[in-house]
Amino acid sequence: MRLLAVLAGVVAAFVPFAAIPKTEESVAVAGMRRLSESQYRNAIADIFGPDIEVAGRFEPIVRPHHQLLAAGAAQATISPAGLEQFDAIARRIAAQVFDEKRRAAYLRCKPGNATRADSSCARKTLAPIARYVLRRPPSKEDLARYVGLADVAAEKSGSFYKGLELSLAAMLLSPQFLYVVDVDEPDPATPGARRLDAYSRAARLSFFLWNTTPNEALLDAAARGDLDDPAAFRAVAEKMVASPRFEKGVRAFFSDMLLFEKFEEIAKDPVIYPRFNPAVAAAMPEQMLRTITDELVARDGDYRALFTTRRTFMTRALGTIYAAPVRSAYGWEPYEIAAMDDRAGLVGQAGFLALYSHSGRSSPTLRGRAVREVLLCQPVPNPPGNVNFTAVQDVHNRSFPTARDRLKAHATDPSCAGCHSITDPIGLALERFDGAGVARDRENGALINVRAPFGEGEIVGAAGLGKALAADPALPECVAHRAFEYATGLSADAAGARAAKAADSFARAGYRIRSLFLDVATSSDAYRVVASPTASPAAGAGR
Amino acid sequence: MTSSNLISILALAAAAATPASARDLGFIVTDFAPAIHQGKGDCPNGLAGTLRENYFATLAPAERARLGAPENEKELQKRWQGYAFGPNNTNVCANPEAFPDRPTQKMIEGPVAYGLDLDGGAAECAHAEFASPDGRRGIDNQAYRAMGCTLNYRGVDGKAGDIVRGSKMWLASGEHAMVILVKGVDDPRNDDAVEVVFASTDDRPIVDSQQNFVTGASYTVSANAAHRNLLKGRIRNGVLTTDPTDMRLRRAFGHGGPRGAKAEWEIGRAQLRLVFTANGALAGVLGGYQTPRNVIISTIAGGFGAAVVASIDCAAEYNTMLKLADGYKDPSTGRCTRVSTGLDIAAVPAFVFDRAPGESAP
Repeated sequence: MRLLAVLAGVVAAFVPFAAIPKTEESVAVAGMRRLSESQYRNAIADIFGPDIEVAGRFEPIVRPHHQLLAAGAAQATISPAGLEQFDAIARRIAAQVFDEKRRAAYLRCKPGNATRADSSCARKTLAPIARYVLRRPPSKEDLARYVGLADVAAEKSGSFYKGLELSLAAMLLSPQFLYVVDVDEPDPATPGARRLDAYSRAARLSFFLWNTTPNEALLDAAARGDLDDPAAFRAVAEKMVASPRFEKGVRAFFSDMLLFEKFEEIAKDPVIYPRFNPAVAAAMPEQMLRTITDELVARDGDYRALFTTRRTFMTRALGTIYAAPVRSAYGWEPYEIAAMDDRAGLVGQAGFLALYSHSGRSSPTLRGRAVREVLLCQPVPNPPGNVNFTAVQDVHNRSFPTARDRLKAHATDPSCAGCHSITDPIGLALERFDGAGVARDRENGALINVRAPFGEGEIVGAAGLGKALAADPALPECVAHRAFEYATGLSADAAGARAAKAADSFARAGYRIRSLFLDVATSSDAYRVVASPTASPAAGAGR
Repeated sequence: MTSSNLISILALAAAAATPASARDLGFIVTDFAPAIHQGKGDCPNGLAGTLRENYFATLAPAERARLGAPENEKELQKRWQGYAFGPNNTNVCANPEAFPDRPTQKMIEGPVAYGLDLDGGAAECAHAEFASPDGRRGIDNQAYRAMGCTLNYRGVDGKAGDIVRGSKMWLASGEHAMVILVKGVDDPRNDDAVEVVFASTDDRPIVDSQQNFVTGASYTVSANAAHRNLLKGRIRNGVLTTDPTDMRLRRAFGHGGPRGAKAEWEIGRAQLRLVFTANGALAGVLGGYQTPRNVIISTIAGGFGAAVVASIDCAAEYNTMLKLADGYKDPSTGRCTRVSTGLDIAAVPAFVFDRAPGESAP
């Protein structure tokens, strides 16, 4: 096994970009984005079946400040430790694919001798797999390398199948699998300009709209040239946004936009918040995603209505947070929040309220900042390093029983007042919900005041904030910009005017998310390569 | 208003399947254990003997002195543990009825006990009655009289024994989880006719990190119709009482298997007396009649281990209860077969979904 490990490493480094066609300066690598964990898992499930276990830890992608993880993925490297993890995961997957139980589904021939190498059979078996894994047909050189690796390993291990296993593990460790590689080519419609090639378009469509690797139909469409024809390309994208799989794409986008990776670290003091437990923590992001996909995908609703809707979904664990009766002992059921309840829309959901709170107290500042930054794309500066937080942290000070009182005392410092004036009013409207998202009307015995200025007017409570957000043009503009950034992996600055076009078309389409995604997915702006292409490392890599 | 109070009130107003003018009040049971009065004079002669102590008491003085010497501890242990067993591989805990000649144990001597006046003064078998701590007379609780001086009931600290702690644990873990649904309440202070569903639930209760039941959680009545008890009652001055009804509730020990399947709370002519507390909870007592075997079913389930490891003398307990039995007289023998009992009940607001017999799970 040690020999196989060494061989795998050698081959992985040997064939990073071999599949990318190299025809002088006609093509180049325009960008690379590391697969997210969910994309990796979805890709494996789609290629090899959902019964393949993907076990291991994924090196996290770092979120750039005020940006999407998708933008971080465009800058993400893989550390030696991270590569070891990917290597271990790849080996486990490959071992399952070619184990006795499953190998028949992938073999395209019977080896002449199962204890020896069989180049012909290995080639027939590995070629179609490589097409899915590398998201484009393997070049002759690629295939020759993977077959060669399978042959060497088969001879050394005395098993044809072990050879295939090692070759597949190397394939799964290839940068062409671990990264979505954008390959560009000259744009025939605009002399001198460059655009993404058909297979890169297929990958972008698939990961953007379905959060997974291109399927057979997309790869075929790319091969036929359909994706180079605007009308045919749009027809393909229209089918994809009409598919039930579109929901996965929407989920992945909002998980990124709403910073759901923070749920993995959410913690609450169990004495202060006895209703908060692991089942509640797990249900919180799922409730938000179910609400989002129900409103925006299943009902094809207006994005702005997401902030005023009273429709959501409930589990019994979450029911204790909402004081909601839940009939189903297991799983989810639709739930409508009462009209008299202050809780409405996404910002009134326990997940949002708990995520943007401290472990032992609510935080109007964190909640207000999240609304500004995450939902309205209005970055708020970080506090200076020498701030005295004593006034806001002492929740038992009888002189300042409510968060409003404490923040007022804290913000008397002029250096703090500026930022707090743009975050706190929003968060104070949400104060009738504690740090776990449970309704309350008093804090330390004092009535909680949820009136706050917003824009030119005043908001009252969470429902009032939801209405104000729905009426704020920055809200739909923000999601449109984020969708463009998410699809392209560009930062907000780099997306610039091209993202603004997406916002305009979003408004024209009545703020329907399906239209937004379709327009972004088929926009020529999204496939136009602006930056200078990176020189392909294929020419000399590993030599 | 605290969040828990807010939730309590919301739960009270929950009214799943509620008629327009009335409400259904749901609760999850947080306490269901023998009601034990911890009075100073209750056990003036000390605690009931352990199996070891009871064996020791059977010995002649000289032999008792010899075996009591430290160097003979091993022999003593072998002999008192042997005292747990009878013919045909029986033992005092799995088969307490197989040891009718074993002595009874020390009993409650005090005048006060929790419970209800079950017989209205017309006892089937003569017995002394208690007064309740709040001054009600004629309290029938012979199970407490028989068992109240055991270590299992009284506890080393005079507060609560393992029987109480164990019961709470089983409620929280879902092995005995129970719900109460008071249906058709027009006025929680006074209502001449309400129905009470007192049932097991198959749902595991939601508890916090300190094992306290979280209010406002949702539960469904058990799929086993035998464990859904429908009681007729009324509310007067905030006190809910119900008419005598035979009740059965799930009483599993461990996670299923034959032991779990066999066990039940089986309480004849059960009556409730529960008070609606200010925070929306329920608290009070359930009275009724249990067979001696049903009273100590958890120890019986422990088998010989309960006898030789915990040193519980189940035969003494069983024989004491038979002696004190005050209900369900067997016409053929003229002897009563069950003991009156009083169980401490507490419950907090919850959303309870009823399930009529035969109705499938939601």
